[in-house]
Order: sequence, then C-alpha cells, then structure tokens
Amino acid sequence: MKWQMKWSRIIAVLRKEVFHILRDPFTLALALALPLILVLVFGLAIEFNIRELRMAVHDGDRTYQSRGLTEVLGSSGYFKLTNEVSPVAAMGALEGERAKAALIIEKNFGKQLGSEQVARAQVLLDGSDNSTVGLILGYLNGVQKIAEHKFLPEVASSNLEIRTKYLFNGELNSRWFTVPGLLAIVIAILSILLTSLTIAREWENGSMELLLSTPIRPLEIVIGKLVPYLVLGLGAATFVYLLARLGFGVPFRGSHFVLIPGVLLFITAYLTQGLLISVITRRQQLAMQLSMMTGLLPSILLSGFIFPIENMPPFFQVFTSILPAKWFIQISRGTFLSGSGFAELATPFLALFVLNGVLIMLATKNFKKDLEP
Amino acid sequence: MVSEPNAVIAVDIRKLTVKFGEFTAVDQVSLSVRKGEIFGFLGANGAGKTTTIRVLCGLLVPTSGHVRVAGYAPEDGLEKIKTRVGYMSQRFTLYDDLTVAENLKFSGSLRGIVGRKLEQRIEELLEFVGFSRATGAFVKDLPGGIKQQVSLAASILHDPEIVFLDEPTSGVTPGARERFWKLIRELAGKGKTVFVTTHYMDEAEHCERIALMKDGKIIALDSPGGLKASTFRTPLLEILPSRKMAEGSWLPQLRAHPAVESIEPYGMRYHLVISDPARLGEVKAQIPPSFEISQTAPSLEDVFIRLVEAGFIK
Repeated sequence: MKWQMKWSRIIAVLRKEVFHILRDPFTLALALALPLILVLVFGLAIEFNIRELRMAVHDGDRTYQSRGLTEVLGSSGYFKLTNEVSPVAAMGALEGERAKAALIIEKNFGKQLGSEQVARAQVLLDGSDNSTVGLILGYLNGVQKIAEHKFLPEVASSNLEIRTKYLFNGELNSRWFTVPGLLAIVIAILSILLTSLTIAREWENGSMELLLSTPIRPLEIVIGKLVPYLVLGLGAATFVYLLARLGFGVPFRGSHFVLIPGVLLFITAYLTQGLLISVITRRQQLAMQLSMMTGLLPSILLSGFIFPIENMPPFFQVFTSILPAKWFIQISRGTFLSGSGFAELATPFLALFVLNGVLIMLATKNFKKDLEP
Repeated sequence: MVSEPNAVIAVDIRKLTVKFGEFTAVDQVSLSVRKGEIFGFLGANGAGKTTTIRVLCGLLVPTSGHVRVAGYAPEDGLEKIKTRVGYMSQRFTLYDDLTVAENLKFSGSLRGIVGRKLEQRIEELLEFVGFSRATGAFVKDLPGGIKQQVSLAASILHDPEIVFLDEPTSGVTPGARERFWKLIRELAGKGKTVFVTTHYMDEAEHCERIALMKDGKIIALDSPGGLKASTFRTPLLEILPSRKMAEGSWLPQLRAHPAVESIEPYGMRYHLVISDPARLGEVKAQIPPSFEISQTAPSLEDVFIRLVEAGFIK
C-alpha cells in the first residue's frame, strides 16, 4: 500500500484539538495552574534545608572553652540554643519535643582540652526524626572542625583535615536542587495525563471510529493530536524555567542547546507513554488513573526528585532506569547546576533515546492491533 | 465475465463471517445491494448489523468471506473504499464542543476537500438537509433531530456513492424521523445507495428491500411486501379486547384451539394467525362477543415478531 502522509489532514486534526483545548476549562486550568502551584509548593513551602534547629544545651563546665564551643554552634546559623540547668533538663527538652538535639558539656571539658586529654561533649539526637539526623550530623561535623581549629590550632594544622566541600551548590540550597527537578514533574503530568485523556476520549465517545472511516491514517491522527500538547508542554517547561531563574535565582551554568533537546526528548517520551495508555485503556477514567500511577507517582518518588536514587535498594536503582524522569532530572540538574554538556550527559541522553524508541514501538504496535481486532 | 468494476451492484457480500474470539458476530452472510437502492438492515441489538457495516466501511477485517463495496474489495486498498462511502455511526457523529461549521470543515478536511470548494459544499448540503440555524452554533446546543441532519451532511460531504447509516434516527422525535427519511429517499433519487439499519419497523417500510438479522445470520431478505406475503400466508386477525375483559380465560383457550397458529400481544390488541382459513368462523366463535375482531394486513412489526422473536421458520 502506498503510504502517503497528508499535511492537510494532520492540520485538520490539530486545529480541532486546539479548539477542544481552548474550550475545555479543565485542560486549560491544568496546563496553566498546575506548573505554578507545583513550583510554589515545592519551591516555597517545602524546605529541605534545616535552619535554626532547636538544641538544648547544658553547660556543666562554664569555662572559656565550653562557652567557646556553644558560641561556635550558635553562630553557625544552623542551631538555636536554649540553656538547660541540668543534663536531665536537657534530656527532658529532647523528650518533650522542645528540641531536636541536646548538647551536654561535662564539668572537666575545659581542663581536659587544655591537658591534651580527649575532651568530651555529648550530643543527643532525636532518632525518631531521621530526616534531620543526617543533616545535623553533617553540620556537627563541620562545627567540630571549626571548634578544633579555634581551640587547638596546632593540632588541626598538623593533622590531616577532612573537609567536605559541596560543589555546584555550595550553599546546599535545596531550592536550587528542587526547582530544576520540577521541570520533569510538570512535563510528566501535562504530557501523560493530557494525551492519555484526549485519545481515550475519542475512543470513549466513538468518534475514533468515525475518524478511521475516513482516509486519514492512524499516524496522522496521532501527530495531529500530540503536537498541541507538545506545545503546551514546552510552554509549561518555559514557564518553570523562567520561574526557576527569575523567581528563585537558580543559576543556569550549562548550555540551552543541551537542555532543549533534553526537554524535547523527555516530552516525546511521556507523550508516547500517554498515547500507549489511552490506546490500551480506551477509557478516560482508567487512562487518568494509569497516568497517575505510571507517570506522576514514579516521577515524583522514584526519579531522584525527592529521594536520591543512590540511597535506594539495588533493585530500585536498576528499576528506576526505565523512568524517563530519572534521566531527564539528571539532564536538568546537570545543565542548571554543574554546566554539563553532551559529553557528561551521554548516558541520560542515550537512555532517553532508547526509552523513546521502545515506547513509540509499543504504542504504534498496539494502535494498529486495536484498529483491526 | 464482466471486467469493469460492478456498475450496478453497489455492495456485494459473499459468505461473510466475523468472529471475535469464540463469539461469531456475523455468520455466513451473503447479500448484494443494487446501486440506488435503499436497503434496510433489521434486527435486535447484537444481531450483527453494526459489525457488518463496519466491515463494509473498511473498519474491520472479516474472518472469512468476500466483500466488494463500490466495486472494490478491501484487498484493493481500504482507501479506495473509504473515499467512496460515507458512514454515519450510531454512537457519535459530531463533536459537541465544536460549532456546526467547524464540525463540517473538519470532516471535509479529512476527506481532502478544502477552501472555496469546501465552503460551497457545506452551504449546499446544509440547504439540502434543511438546516436553517446559524452555522456558528455549538453542536451541544442543537436538538437531536437537527444534530442528525448535520451528521448526515458531514457524512456525505465528499459525495460518496454509498451511504451507510447506522440507526440514524434513534432518539429523535417522530417528526424529525419523517424528515430524515425524506432526505434518505432524495439521496436514493440522486443515485446514491443507502444502507440503513433501524429499530423502527415503520421506518423499514420505506426500504426497497430488507434483510432481517438474528444471531449473526440473515433469516429473511425481501421487499417489505414480499416479507409480509411470505410470512403470513393465512389471515391475520386483530382482536381488541374490551377493557374489563382484557384478562381472563379466553386467551389460553384460544391459544389451545387447533386452528390457531399463534397469538401475540400487539400494543393493546392481539394479533392472531389462523393456520387453516377454512376454520375462520370456528375460531371467531371462540372469541367473546364483546371483543372487536377485524381481519388486518400484516405490518413489518408482525413479520419481525413472527420471524425474530417467535422463531417462526417457513
């Protein structure tokens, strides 16, 4: 059979789809409001940094050295200190949730420090809140280094000093880290959800059959239907990008010529996934649920957006590789924060290419099969 | 052998069978439809009418058998068939959130009709179907009957040789149904072949020939008059029971009478078929005197009840 693609038919479908979008308040609201809401929620409300952590301090030593230690802690900006009269009171503050950590300095702290013995100060942490414990330990490590330097300059300089330096995001500003990841979430929602709904709708009300009774080819329907959502997705991506740069001051250190192909690859991957869902389900309700389950939730939870993939069990570290979001977040963060180019991002780009290929293959295969049951 | 594509036969079906897994939707159906004919497809839901039409429109590949539509078989390329037929599906024909003009332009563009030609054609067809409202009206705001008219216009924009109408008048007012059938006759008058399915027996009377389908098979195929004549060879009596005596022992007694072949409810009345016309008087004597009895001509509904629901076999 001669395969001839007609642009006029694609444009006809495209025009019709634009009318649908413009006249459907739900689609428009989703496309416009969702990115804004997500950026505000993740960018402003959720604070992954810890500042002014309440720490109950019992200074049983009351010497120049012990005061120096608390001063170092207090001036770090990470802790907000409260004085407690006894170790028991400090523990009480911890148990009563009035403090996340307690510092108990014993009576001979200053003396021991001066006499080259090991000086001890005890830090108690609330282990039930394990999201903060890791961070506190990290901060304490830094504080200890500063304290050593202050009290024992000769020791510190003679010993090998271990110093953690956070590259690319020196302040460990969580927003810088989160907002580029949001690009992935916003695109995921718009692409998967909207495409799966639009095509399932045609099946559901029977108009797909009518379309297919004309000489139009399935691929023309698909292209005509996907292009408007591609534009919508790109629009939302641009919006998040501008918000990240201008609203949150996230730096962009890489090249736009790297980010844009990444965005395009990622959008097509999810558009195709949406198409696949709608071809399989043919029902809007089911398509919506499947989109949420296979698109939105994994993009948020398993892509490295919130939980680092390196900390996941080995199975999930491999499993998450089938998620386009995982690879795109690497591209997005790489270009934004570390200025990576194609060379550094070869793996994510290659992975997105492969995933696109597999998804397109699955979608077209199922689409054809469905037409001729 | 005629080498040119069939000029007189618009639709030719030979031993068409369509199976969905174990289920046989269409079973060994053969029929042919003349060019310019109004051909009716009658049957209950699930009898296989829509499945047959979907094959003829190139939407479904048959399990076995051969079809030729407008002179072409699906193997010649579905596009050849699709450009020559118009299809109005029973479930959906227009987009609610698009205006009449947008809907028609969309249908036209899919068929490769564009620009000035498309506008002319839309104007022409809206006039033909008697659409007098603003073309900027949204389809969702139109009454059912008007929607059907616009749908018809959309399905014949490309001037097809054959029009398949799948239950085009379901859910519209009797007045709108009548107007719609006038359009169908006009189409046939212009030489179009119209292949129509319906639930309404009175509508089927408009068809030149009717195929009655049951469980995927054609159980009768003839003109309305021919169907009536062959199904009812003996007189048909219509009995109108008086209101207070509608229930009672007369019905089982009558049914048990050896000369009564069948008695079926028909609205408020009963239609009774006598197996032996010679015993007509004898049967009449069994009916309570307060009942009105008249001999009547069978309608297609009688035919349908007898053939499809009662399972009468000639």
